[in-house]
Amino acid sequence: MTGWPYLLTLTLLAPLAGIVATMLTRDLHRARRVSLGSLALTLAAASAAGFDAYIGGYGERPLVLGAFAIDGVSALMLPVIGMLQLLVAVGTSKVHTTHASSVRLLLATLFALSAATAVSGLVLIGSMTAAAAIPLWDLHSRRRSLRAYLSYMAPALGLLLAGWIGISASPGINTGLMAAGLLIYCGMVPGHAWAPALFESGRLGSALSFALPMMPVMAVVRLLLPSAPADVLAVAGWACLFTGVYAGGLAVVQDSARRFYGWLVLSQISMVMFAALQATPAGLTAALCLWGSAALSLVGLALPLRGLEARFGALSLREHHGLYTQVPTLAVCFLVAGLGCAGFPGAIGFVPVELLVSGSFEQGWWVSAILAVIVMLNGIAVMRAYFSLFTGKRVAASVSLQATRVERISIASVVIVVLMGGWLAPNIVATRHALADQILIERASAPH
Amino acid sequence: MAGLPSIRTNRARDGWEMSSLMSLEAILSSLTLLVVAGPVGLMACFLPWLSVNHQLSEVNIARVVKGTIGISLLSAICAAGIMLSQGLGQHAVELGDWVVTRSFHLKFKFVLDLLSLTYVILTLVLCATIGAFATRYLHREHGYNRFFVLFGVFLLGMVIAALSDTVETLFIGWELVGLSSVLLIAFFHERPAPARNGLRVWVVYRICDAALMLAAVMLHEIQGGGDFDHLVGPSGWPHNDALTAAPHLAIMGLLFVIAAAGKSALVPFSGWLPRAMEGPTPSSAIFYGALSVHLGAFLLLRINPVLDSAPWLSALVVALGLSSAVFAYLSGRVQTDIKSALSFASLTQVGIIFIWIGLGLNELALIHLVGHACLRTLQFLRAPSLLHDHHQLENAIGARLGPEKVQWEQRLSPGLQRGIYRFGLERAYLDSLLDALIARPFVGLFKAFDAAERGWTGWLNAEPTAKPKTTKERA
Repeated sequence: MTGWPYLLTLTLLAPLAGIVATMLTRDLHRARRVSLGSLALTLAAASAAGFDAYIGGYGERPLVLGAFAIDGVSALMLPVIGMLQLLVAVGTSKVHTTHASSVRLLLATLFALSAATAVSGLVLIGSMTAAAAIPLWDLHSRRRSLRAYLSYMAPALGLLLAGWIGISASPGINTGLMAAGLLIYCGMVPGHAWAPALFESGRLGSALSFALPMMPVMAVVRLLLPSAPADVLAVAGWACLFTGVYAGGLAVVQDSARRFYGWLVLSQISMVMFAALQATPAGLTAALCLWGSAALSLVGLALPLRGLEARFGALSLREHHGLYTQVPTLAVCFLVAGLGCAGFPGAIGFVPVELLVSGSFEQGWWVSAILAVIVMLNGIAVMRAYFSLFTGKRVAASVSLQATRVERISIASVVIVVLMGGWLAPNIVATRHALADQILIERASAPH
Repeated sequence: MAGLPSIRTNRARDGWEMSSLMSLEAILSSLTLLVVAGPVGLMACFLPWLSVNHQLSEVNIARVVKGTIGISLLSAICAAGIMLSQGLGQHAVELGDWVVTRSFHLKFKFVLDLLSLTYVILTLVLCATIGAFATRYLHREHGYNRFFVLFGVFLLGMVIAALSDTVETLFIGWELVGLSSVLLIAFFHERPAPARNGLRVWVVYRICDAALMLAAVMLHEIQGGGDFDHLVGPSGWPHNDALTAAPHLAIMGLLFVIAAAGKSALVPFSGWLPRAMEGPTPSSAIFYGALSVHLGAFLLLRINPVLDSAPWLSALVVALGLSSAVFAYLSGRVQTDIKSALSFASLTQVGIIFIWIGLGLNELALIHLVGHACLRTLQFLRAPSLLHDHHQLENAIGARLGPEKVQWEQRLSPGLQRGIYRFGLERAYLDSLLDALIARPFVGLFKAFDAAERGWTGWLNAEPTAKPKTTKERA
């Protein structure tokens, strides 16, 4: 719809203006408030733009700033990206906030939004490349080794670019190259080692703002689905399915809360990617629904983790911490968001997970069985972490460790979104299903 | 012309009967919704207070629990009375398709029939009893509010599961029951054992949930929807016949049996039942003595024609029930604490209920289930005052109670006696077996993967990846 095209312009310019304003503000606390304000403005504009497009039925696609437009896929993802980046910002404790970290977050928001709304493949790949540089900046600023990250991300972007350049000449091979690049970019086995390393040694905020928008899913929808042969999609789908089980199993046995979270993120992303690569109406509908629900649940799960780390430092899962009595609000948020990831009934992830497991049955009952195993492993991993962090020990603190006002507001938002999001499922599924049909019609009409 | 008045009278009578039937159906539907509204109202009372981190007073909680369960119970009894008086075997309440695509339907639907009404009335009566008991038993207990929040989640799950007429509605109730059970096992937060046991139970529940999820997917594939009446016919329970004869029907039945076995702690999943006794006594009574442990049996009763369609599946159910009953009897005989002994006694009876189901004696299974649930609840609730009761009994008869009579096992050879004793004491080595065959290989394999991952990224980064230190290591 085109009624209010400047909403998308505002969505894209708000983080850009935030970057300039943050850099110009000397006082650190004021700079933090400025970045938070611009992220809130981004969220408001993104929500309005998405709603406007929804009301208009995703009809026309006017270009904004020459390269961006809103459509059915991006209309729902814009508010999701806006919300998760705002929650990442809110979850960063004041003592850990610097000018650079605020700028990084705003840049990540800008690149994720531009990837979501990019009209051409080159802009999309460019946005993904720029987004990939942010964790690099973060690792460099912490004086951590860049080799693991670079040794995966550089080939991923190279393959992606090479595939895109040659796609018109030889779609078969080049879509294969692009698929390989995308699989590495989003951490699918065997191109995954950068992801747990990034979650463990980088700042959690940077890792979240890079991984959770799941830009490769957008690239699959925009670049792969229109032209990739079924075999390429099938092979890539198998890699995602294997990653789901592998990462889910590793999330269950982790000793470190950070690594548990990193593997859980990979497991969730793998389910979304698998669903998108199925190229069936049910699979694609599930992917488009699961994309947002997984991102919001995961950012909700990160909030209490970051809150605990800010209070107690790095957390081991080898022992019980018994923190429920100290921080019950964080415990409730952890549980609710974790159950959202595990597709628990009533939570935001329930319908998408059911849709995915059910929709995969046509590929064989064992595909549904593997997906059920992934969901089961994620549920076990979340509950193990919950019991380890919040129960099993009596803890007496000399000072109050209760959630701060900002934390309480953000936790309440997460809980409301995760619980109430489930009730919006009928409408979301209906629109996603129509969209999936449209994408698959375009795919069917394209030469392979 | 002489016939006209009689035709008019018949038409008028037919019209009146039709309108009275419609109003009857509307009343039954309203009553069904009221049954569900009780637990929903209970949760709704807690949520606003929880969101502002405020705790309700004990008196208010007791009032809310009594009021909401009372409304539900009264509605269920009225619905049962109307159906009995009108001779209605079944009444379905469709809440409509919640999510619909070409290949996927998620429908909320409830049903009133002999099975669902019996189970829901049993649930509400026992929850009302436990609710009244717990308001006193947990007086000034730390976590009083938390207990009743979880109690509300459990009640909601049980009511939804009992009334469900689609597999997805059942799944929602099933999951809510599982979650509340696990969180109540770990109710005493300050000790590690409840948390460890809660996690173990959660693992078993997730396995059986995965089986139920797959069964639900298969049901959708076989008949294009999750309605039980498409599967077992429109006649009211227990006069059902399997309508479908698909190749996957037996596999689906097997998945339902796995789900039921996990939920009801049948062999080989039995190890979690005594571990679940870590929770407060009221939750042990209601979950593992009375209601939750019977939910597996309820599931099989609901889909009974599927079992009838595959004799080997019925035989499997009988074998599971028999082995669980024998195992629980032998293990229960050597327990030294009352709650564990009662949990194994429960399992013995649940095993026998499964035998009835496998043999197709569904009415007998339902009667056994109801009687057992009521008796076991009473026993669990009296368990904390067992010694007091014992002394009262001795005072009443004016003498010491005699020694236990000679049991059958004392007629066996000493070697066999020792063997059986160890078998019971080690709980048939089931936990060790599951640990050795599933848990340890799984953890070992993924720990090895993790070590390889750490080694690889450490080599790439030229710096080792360190694990976070535990409190002891920091000290």
